[in-house]
Amino acid sequence: MRALAALFALLLSTFFALPAAAQTQQNEEVKPVPLLTGSTGFITTFDGGKPHLHPIVTPLILVPIARRWLFETRATFETDMVQLPGSSAFHGTVQKEVEYAQLDFIANPYITVTVGRFLTPFGIFNERLYPVWIRNLQSDPLILPIGIGPSNASTGAMLRGGFKAHPKLNINYAVYFSALLTVPPVNSDRFAGGRVGIFVPGARLEIGGSFQHGLQDTRSNAFGFHAIWQPPALPLDIRSEYMRSIAGSGYWAEAAYRLSQVPFLQNELRRTQVVTRVQQYFVGENASDALLPVNTKQFEFGLNYYFIDGLKASSNYGRQFSVDGNKNVWTLSLTYRFVVPLGRVGSE
Amino acid sequence: MWRRYILLCFMGITAGLTITAMAQERANSTASPNSAAPAPAQGTAASPTATHTSAVSSAASDADEKRALRLEGEKRFRINCGRCHQPPHKFPPRVMAAAIRHMRVRAMITDEDMQLILGYMTQ
Repeated sequence: MRALAALFALLLSTFFALPAAAQTQQNEEVKPVPLLTGSTGFITTFDGGKPHLHPIVTPLILVPIARRWLFETRATFETDMVQLPGSSAFHGTVQKEVEYAQLDFIANPYITVTVGRFLTPFGIFNERLYPVWIRNLQSDPLILPIGIGPSNASTGAMLRGGFKAHPKLNINYAVYFSALLTVPPVNSDRFAGGRVGIFVPGARLEIGGSFQHGLQDTRSNAFGFHAIWQPPALPLDIRSEYMRSIAGSGYWAEAAYRLSQVPFLQNELRRTQVVTRVQQYFVGENASDALLPVNTKQFEFGLNYYFIDGLKASSNYGRQFSVDGNKNVWTLSLTYRFVVPLGRVGSE
Repeated sequence: MWRRYILLCFMGITAGLTITAMAQERANSTASPNSAAPAPAQGTAASPTATHTSAVSSAASDADEKRALRLEGEKRFRINCGRCHQPPHKFPPRVMAAAIRHMRVRAMITDEDMQLILGYMTQ
């Protein structure tokens, strides 16, 4: 373990010792301004015929510091309002959570050091596709809780970065360590892991894998693969993930097609996107409360309409199959992404 | 057994996608002409007319280079931002500088891509 730590320290010092010429040269003419950004949404779900109203606000604060630092924190305020027996009114309590609060130091073009509470980089959905204004279907993938910890985040340190490994190939990676924290809602498990991805810009294809080793309880391993492909000739997004852990395993695959190439009603159809997703989940040896208790299969079909930049209406229908019973899941939502500068935006 | 089968299928799909991407990349590189800006003329004459011609040529070359950078920035913007979400509209430069630093960390955009995208989005 000590040898590993020494090797890690040596690797770190080697990277930090890169010549100054390789340091990040942020455009000096443009000083970044602190931002309040994030998303808000109103999501209505009919899960097996039972209505849920789900308003959500997710503010994200970005504070750039000097030329190579960034403090970022995201919180969520949401409620799941349901009808109580014998009452037609909807009731629910507001849940508040700091999803992450991290300090990033862009050490050089190859390494960014992150400390604090950060979204666990296991797979791609939790870290990159989770916000309601980004995701193509509002329902979470069934396997989302695998590998991301009890509150979707880790507490510790992470090294990450993306660099050009070949003129036609980029590599991105993240390695992290999370400490045990038992204070909800910011609890986290003790584990270490990493993710690596290969991105081919010409083909607009990214494939990668994640690995995680638990450092508590069963000390089990988890791993996963992900792929994103946007064929250059088509307005099509294909995304997929597979994950496996002691708690369960499964996959999801999603295709989203923007109707911008349809030769009629172009003003409307170029704003319209059809989405379909198939997913399957298998229960593992150690059941987890965050995951479904039985093997489940789900098909979904959705339609998104982009009014303006950041404002989107979505609807989707899903059919879930499990031994607990099959059911329909309908979702309607309106989401909006906002960006508010917290300072003067004139160039300095 | 099922899990192994799914894992094998996933690996097969991943391998297939990789091969497709590499084939497509190779096809693109052979089909598309070299898009680099033409090298400036290397005139040897020292007459005023030649100097003037050289200055005009140099200005045109700069304009071509800026245009090429802008186009490359737009391309990188579409490719990188569109990987996860709909590429946003342009924001004021200082807002964009903060957003791109955030994306540098979150989406692990390379240093070169960040510079090109920032250049494109702040013009």
